Amino acid sequence: MDNVLSARALMGISLGFHIIYATIGIGLPLMLMIAEGLSLRTGDELYHQLARRWIRPAGVLFAIGAVSGTILSFELGLLWPRFMAFSGPLIGLAFSMEGFAFFVEAIFLALYIYGEQRLSRRMLFFCTIVLTVAAAASAVFVISANAWMNTPAGFRLVDGKLADVNPFQALANPAWAHEAVHGTLAAYVATGFAMAGIYALSLLRGHRSDYNKRALTLALAVASVSLPLMLVSGDWAGTILAVQQKPKLAAMEALFTTTRGAPLIIGGWPDPATGKVLYGIRIPKLLSFLAYHDTDALVEGLDAFPPGSTPDPRLVHPFFDLMVASFFIMLAAAVWFWWLRWRRQEVPLDKWPLRALLFASPFGMIALECGWLVTEFGRQPWIARGHMRVAEGVTPQASIGLVLLTFLVVYLSLTVGLMILLLRPASTEEVTEKSHGDRHVDS
Amino acid sequence: MWTLENLAAGSVYFGLVMYAAFGGADFGGGIWTALASGPRAREQRGDLFHAIGPVWGTNHVWLIFVVVTLFTTFPKGFAAIFTALLVPMVIALIGINFRGAAFAFRHFGRQTGEHIPFVASAFAVSSILTPFALGMAVTATATGKVVFVNDWVQAEPWFWIGPFTLVGGMIGMAICAFLAPIYMTVRTEGELQRDFRRMGIMAGLMLGFLTTVEIPVAMIDAPLFAGRLLASRGIPFIAVSVISGITTMILLWRDRFLLGQIAAIVTVTMTITGFAASMYPDILIGQLSLAAAAAPPATLRAFFSVLAIGIIILVPSLLFLYWTFRGESNTKLQSSGGLNTVTEKITMDL
Repeated sequence: MDNVLSARALMGISLGFHIIYATIGIGLPLMLMIAEGLSLRTGDELYHQLARRWIRPAGVLFAIGAVSGTILSFELGLLWPRFMAFSGPLIGLAFSMEGFAFFVEAIFLALYIYGEQRLSRRMLFFCTIVLTVAAAASAVFVISANAWMNTPAGFRLVDGKLADVNPFQALANPAWAHEAVHGTLAAYVATGFAMAGIYALSLLRGHRSDYNKRALTLALAVASVSLPLMLVSGDWAGTILAVQQKPKLAAMEALFTTTRGAPLIIGGWPDPATGKVLYGIRIPKLLSFLAYHDTDALVEGLDAFPPGSTPDPRLVHPFFDLMVASFFIMLAAAVWFWWLRWRRQEVPLDKWPLRALLFASPFGMIALECGWLVTEFGRQPWIARGHMRVAEGVTPQASIGLVLLTFLVVYLSLTVGLMILLLRPASTEEVTEKSHGDRHVDS
Repeated sequence: MWTLENLAAGSVYFGLVMYAAFGGADFGGGIWTALASGPRAREQRGDLFHAIGPVWGTNHVWLIFVVVTLFTTFPKGFAAIFTALLVPMVIALIGINFRGAAFAFRHFGRQTGEHIPFVASAFAVSSILTPFALGMAVTATATGKVVFVNDWVQAEPWFWIGPFTLVGGMIGMAICAFLAPIYMTVRTEGELQRDFRRMGIMAGLMLGFLTTVEIPVAMIDAPLFAGRLLASRGIPFIAVSVISGITTMILLWRDRFLLGQIAAIVTVTMTITGFAASMYPDILIGQLSLAAAAAPPATLRAFFSVLAIGIIILVPSLLFLYWTFRGESNTKLQSSGGLNTVTEKITMDL
């Protein structure tokens, strides 16, 4: 396998894995905060117990997130040293800030987990607030580094060397705001639906406790509040892409030729050879409207840019559509649930709405991974758009295929180990309860 | 002296010391888990496992701190090091991976952990692998065998394997094996405490032996480094680390565990400081200076402003943490699930 492809594959696998844990590490603290807040406000112990039950998975997930994050920081150097030599002075700041946020998160998670006997309820609640803010901040900072790759800023190039370096301008690069908002909200949706799924399953299996009902309501409430905001921030991201990253937008929408009053193409398979989209559904003028809020606006297609400087729509358009489809799947399940909940004034325990929630539960994570893939594949062939191609950023070491193979073996053996462990019969009720939670988030 | 790049190098050095002191003890726990023997082997293993559980995550924060500071403030040095030392870094990374997995697996059930041979062995192997590979990688920067051609790093593929780096890897392991049992002496009592005391003394003698051997080896295999180490800048640190090493042994011998622990930390810190002082002013000895590897001043200034704000937020948070858990015996905390905690680290260390 060629070096660049191996490096990309390894980075992609490591990131795709890390994202799952990082996401829950952002979403879970918010749940803890809300549960502790409600407990304080209503005096209802059940909310507090709810939060305390999430401690164990929170601890393990935080730990796995830390390890997979360490691996990523190494891989930046092992796989992309030339990119890092170029961009380190610019995106290093974002990583440093993320590091501090992460450290604060570690401290307050420790306080919250081990402080039950030592701290008042108010103080525990305070810890969850700091935890939530720090977790969101670490996401926002690290996303800045990703955004910089899409819209590099804060420097000039003079004879191929960096000049006029302004790291704060690099931090606040043009794509940062919409990526950070969209990405952080996505973590809340993904975590909320994943957790709602666990409790829906529990209810379906007949464990109709108040505990399960309340946990389901809380998790789904967080996800449902964030869901419409995803649509709003997604629309915002789209209109900004239409200005800042036109080739990415064209690849997302599988628009090969520059068109006035461009249609929105749903589904289908873009074929670069013919420049046509096979089997797609076209809605006239909708893309122009979405991108520029004008049905007759001109939208640049992939043909508007020099050949070899645009992403492959086959890797971008399907993931974009899957992301949008995931949104509607989650929306439908949530609306159904809340409508019944509102009509009956209690948590509906009917099979089908709960099954719908269970079905929808992984789609938050699926949407998040798809959104990430759209951003990354949509940036190709650049590692820093307009300045450095991916192939120019890769290590000159020749053996990356071997490194990829090694890590595949490592990950595979760990997965097998995990499977063996999960399939062992658990001996106590407590362990059974726990492994449910972990099985979900770890699989 | 107080240039921006020197301050940045100081941050990397600080991170390395913290990683050795915190992370080192953690790897050391794994090493002794593998070596635990005798009538109390099971208890030793259990205690080490429990002691490691809660603290290991924090160590990764220090490693991440080192890596991030390196690529922010010395991007060129970072790129060169991670290009030339790909293989030992990959080995270290595999070790880190397995350690993380072993930790996570242990949490799927209280009764698992050491009873699952796979987890126990993965944990032990990775605890040996990682400090050895990292020790080799760090000492490899002192060999002078990484060179620059056309502004880009070049080295023989296996240059990092040599007498100097092999001893360096063993020193990495010895540092870890030295710290862990000494930290444990403060947390155990009776026979177990005697066992950990014995381990600490053994590892201390080993560390003393290896660092002594490394000097003549360096004279042959890393002459530039040896020349600087044996000059006026290196000698004081050698002297202090020898004195504190001997002090540690005496304190352990006389059952003064709390002081022994402090002396052990000083020993390790001074060993690393001697290395760092002999590297100065280079990041890759004789080939790439700190000044040449450093990021533009604007980046360094921004980094330090972030560092300052970070410290303003972190220090009160940490103080609150220590204050909250002041004087708490941490046995109870461990059983409650052992996430990494700075707290346990502190109660363990001080």
